[in-house]
This record gives sequence, structure tokens and C-alpha cells, in this order.
Amino acid sequence: MSKPTVGIFGLTGCAGDQLVILNCEERLLELVSLIDVRDFLMASSENDAACPLDLALVEGAVLSGRDAARLETIRQRARILVALGTCAVWGGVAAMDGGADRHRLLEDVYGRAGLNYDSLPARALHEIVKVDLKITGCPIEKEHFLAAIANLLHGNAPLYPEYPVCTECRMLENNCLLIERGELCCGPITAAGCDARCPNLRVACVGCRGPVGDANPSSLLAMFEEKGVDRQRIAARLRIFAPEGAVQ
Amino acid sequence: MRTLVIEHLARVEGHGGITVELEGDTVGNVHFDVFEGARLLEPLVRGKRYDEVAPVLSRICAICSVAHSLTSLKATEDAFEVRISPQAELLRELLYLGENIESHALHLFLLALPDYLGYPSAIALAADKPDAVLRGLRLKKLGNLIQETIGGRAVHPVNAVAGGFGRAPSADQMIELRSALIAGIQDSGAVIDLMASLPGAEFCRCHTVYAALHSPHPHSYYGGQEVIVASDGGRSTVHAADYKMLSNEESVPHSHAKHSRFRGQPFMVGSLARLTVNPSRIAGKVALAAERLGLHLPADNPMDNNKAQALELIGDLERAGEVVEQLLREGIEDEPPAAVHSRAGTGTAITEAPRGLLIHSYTYDAEGRIAAADVITPTALNAASMEMHFRRAVEQCAHRDDALLGKRLEMIARAYDPCISCSVHLVRKR
Repeated sequence: MSKPTVGIFGLTGCAGDQLVILNCEERLLELVSLIDVRDFLMASSENDAACPLDLALVEGAVLSGRDAARLETIRQRARILVALGTCAVWGGVAAMDGGADRHRLLEDVYGRAGLNYDSLPARALHEIVKVDLKITGCPIEKEHFLAAIANLLHGNAPLYPEYPVCTECRMLENNCLLIERGELCCGPITAAGCDARCPNLRVACVGCRGPVGDANPSSLLAMFEEKGVDRQRIAARLRIFAPEGAVQ
Repeated sequence: MRTLVIEHLARVEGHGGITVELEGDTVGNVHFDVFEGARLLEPLVRGKRYDEVAPVLSRICAICSVAHSLTSLKATEDAFEVRISPQAELLRELLYLGENIESHALHLFLLALPDYLGYPSAIALAADKPDAVLRGLRLKKLGNLIQETIGGRAVHPVNAVAGGFGRAPSADQMIELRSALIAGIQDSGAVIDLMASLPGAEFCRCHTVYAALHSPHPHSYYGGQEVIVASDGGRSTVHAADYKMLSNEESVPHSHAKHSRFRGQPFMVGSLARLTVNPSRIAGKVALAAERLGLHLPADNPMDNNKAQALELIGDLERAGEVVEQLLREGIEDEPPAAVHSRAGTGTAITEAPRGLLIHSYTYDAEGRIAAADVITPTALNAASMEMHFRRAVEQCAHRDDALLGKRLEMIARAYDPCISCSVHLVRKR
């Protein structure tokens, strides 16, 4: 059987998920012996930018017309399209204030010239094209990426945790930052899979993996309010990595 | 008139290209084009409380995420006059060394090396020369191990917080790190052998101005408050609070790009600049390696930045070993971060990211929320210098063959190790 053809792409973002792929290090060489990487601009100067792909891995959010056009081309080429990382899955940090006047922000940073830029409000991939698999995380976890490739090679869909960070944190028997120290920890509404990395270091969760499926933000909001934190601050905190619509 | 266009630079971080206009023998406009989308993180971070600023702004760039996090914390601590403990200072220095080791190994072995040996990628190169690529990947992994041990994660660290660290690493973790560093130092000798064996890259000679942080310690990236600009043997000092002298965003008529100049001249930042400005970085094993690679400073060839990165790898591994020894000798205490009392004020911090000077400057309101944030990145500072070097390379190329010119321009761009996600704050076109 021929090896599956793969393309790895970055839209607008920090390139962190592509970096996680490169961080597979020795395992990277083993990985590329199992697949046929045809298009990976960050790692190669020889790419086939038109061939059909069995698998397209796309990181970053859509922030320009150029991004949207690239994504549509990638979708047309790909049998399976995977959204890689919180930006691709949710919109990420650039989507945190969807209500802001973009023209004003552009002018703030770039001056009047900014008004002519090809710039759109941040959108997740699924808002533009059909997405077949989502791997969240800012950045993604290396093991989740390797598990996805291994599963897809065997024709399976990988499974990821569908419970909040708190579940993992409790398994590690950490003291609760929220209840015991009154910190604005986003653990209760954030998708697990990081092994509660931050609370395990006594640092409050900022929600970088995006909301968990059955999140109950209103009960968390009530708990924070009970502790005397004002609503605006809570809302701002809950929306760092996902847009308003994602966290009600 | 004809135009040479490199549509999309490969083997760099982010989305950028190069355009050169040629009119007979005359070189017209030369542009470093950036078409990375605008994420507008500086205005979006307004209103965020001080403990949310580093996690947001580290997302400017993954490869420099430690640099962005620590520069952010240093600026916040400057605004609130927070003093971190000597142990936290050492841990931050070590974390920064980890990022530099990872970033330089990634750049030298995966991005730059294939050009010298005529391969499209390190993956293709690994089929013929697996030892060289595996050695690079091992050093990269070592840099990541340092970042994971101290920062809690290799990309976007989580453990460094205002006032210090969430949790100090354990002595067992540091002992593991010490063993890995000893192995890494053995690998680093082979890096210099490999660099010395590469064909020369002599196609751009040009007088260059260099700017770097004045290091309190020869191999520090995190400490220091003053930038030195070195040109023709002369040195000028710029204090952190006066950073706008370096980033006087000058509009250029040919594009939307704004370029940084110091007293009218483009300047280069990064490894080569650090070694030029801080001669004490070249001592011991690093000095021997510099001799072996034939690196003479100040250099007039931007390609020498690759050699400078290799030298820094040697120095960084040695320094990381010293810091780990010191922490083990003095004993690591699981101390809480220093108390942070927010207040209205302004703080500015400058550090040396892997690709050069990085500046974060914040104004806070009385509630400890960001009123204004300004971030100046190394790739933005380098843009004017890159264009100058592109121009000289074209002028100095006797045969105006597009394929040859294109390859040379891409090699110069890669030697700068540009981080285009970072650069969009200042440089933008299209």
C-alpha cells in the first residue's frame, strides 16, 4: 500500500502547533517514514502545492481573505482535514474580543495605512470549511498529535478527553486553587488533556485548550461572583482563548 | 524593468516573501514582504489584568514564547517594582538558555543546513546524513527538556509568573537535566566540526551596524537594561526607557512597512550582534570554536550569523551546566513567587530573544490592568537591515540569474532566522 500523502499548513497564528510536530524530534524521522509529506513550507523548500492529500493538518485561525482562500484550496485537496490547536478549533487569542471595532484597532497599531490591510475578525476553521477532526490545545499536546496520526493510519478516529481540567487536577490530588485560594481558575470549564499542567504547578488555568463540551460556565460565574469578583473581569478571563459565542 | 519575486519563503517561521526590482544593472526597490495576518494582540490585551498579560503575549510567537513570556513578566515587575529572588533569577536565566538552545538547534539543523548541502529539507537530508540531523534533533530536544523542566512546557511556558515561578523544579529533575547537559556538551563539539566543513557563503559583503543588550553575565539573555549599538568601532548606549530611539517607526514610501533605524542607519540584531557587542561572550571553548570557524568580528557578512549561533550553542550549553550546578549546590527551595502589589505605572523590559532584541513596554492603570502595551520584536528591528543585505547581494552578484539570486536571497533571509509571526507589529505589506 502506498503511504498516505500529507500536507502541514499554518494560517495566522504563532506556528506553535507546527513546532510541536517538529518537537517530536527523533520520533519525527520515524513518523515521516510512515507518511509521505508533500507540502510543509515551514520545513521544506520543495513542496507540491497542488497535489491531492489524504490528510491536511492545519493550524492557525482565519484572519484575512488570503487565509480563507488558502483554507478553501486546502479543503479541496484533502480527504481528511484536521484542525490543529486552539486557534484552528476555536479562533484562539485573536478571537478574544469579537465585538471590538476592527478598523479602530488596525489604525491603533498600524496607523492609517492599516485601514487598507486584508484583515478580518478571527474565525475558526469550521466557520469556513468542513473540519473532520479537531485537536485542541495551545499548543497541541505532542502525544495527542502522534495518537491522531497512529489512529488515522489504522483507519480509526482518535478519542480525546471530554471532561474538564478539574478531573485531571483532582486525580493528581492538588489543592483547589479556586475553592481554597479564590483564584480565577478556568479548570472547571476547560477541556482536559494537558494533565492539569498549570494547576499542578500552582498556577491558575487560563483556559488555553478551549471550552469543554459540557461546560457549565453559569455555575462557575456564580461561584466567582460569590467570591466578590466582578462579572466583567470574569467574562474577560473566560474569553482569552475562545470567542464570546463559545463561552456563554 | 523586471521583478524577481520569492512568493513565499520556505523554512522560516511565518508567511513572508522577497521582491527585487531590476532595471538593467541598477537595483530598484527591494522589499521584505510580510503577509502574516494581523492578530492585533497589543490592543486586545488592553484591560487584561497583569497576570493574564504574559499568557496572551507569549502567543505572539511559539519559537520565542519563553522570550515573550519572560520579557512580559520583567516589564510587569518593572512597573510594579517587584524584586524576584536570586533563585528565580537563575531559573529564568536557565529557562531562557533552554529556548536559545532549542531555537538555534532548530534553525541551524532543520532550516539553514539543507541550503549549504543542497537539500530541500532536513527530512531529505536525514536520508543521506542521518547522524548530522539526529545530532541537531538531540540538541533541540535538550533545549526543550530545559524548557519543560523549568517552564512546565516546551512551547508557551506556564510556570513563570509575576514574582517568580509557580513551583520550583525538584532536585531530582535538576539531576536529570545535569546528565542530559553533559551528553549535550559532548554533542556540541561535533556541531563545530560540521559547521567548519560547510562550503563558504560569500555573496554579501557589507558594513553592518549591530545592536544588542549589554549582558551583565557573558551568556545571559534575560538580564540587562541597556542596549549598545556598535558601528565602526564606536558604541552608543540606549537605556530601556528610551527604547523608542531604536524603533522610531519610519514610514517608507514604497510600502506600508515601517522600518527601524538608529541615527538613520539600519542595524542588525541577533547572535552575531550579541557577540559583537559583548566580546566577553567569546572566551574559552567559544573562542577556540570561533577560530576554527574563521569568524572575525565585526563581521561584514550577514551569513556569519549562522556561525555565531553555533558559537552560542557551545556557550549556552556550558552556561546551562553551570547554572544547574549552582542551583544543586545551593539547594532549590520550593518558594512561592514574590508578592505582587499592582499599581498605576509604566514598565519597560529588554531581553535577547534567540533572534535578537525584544522589547515589551506596558502602562498599567490603578487596578493593575493594561492601559497600553507596546511590543518591539527582533524581526521587525531587523527588517531594514535585511533589505539592505538583500540589495547588496543583488548588486554583488555578477550573473543576474534568477535561480542563483533567489537562492542567495533566501539564504540571507534564513541566516537572519526571521520570525515573521513576531514581525507583523512593525513590518507589513500587501
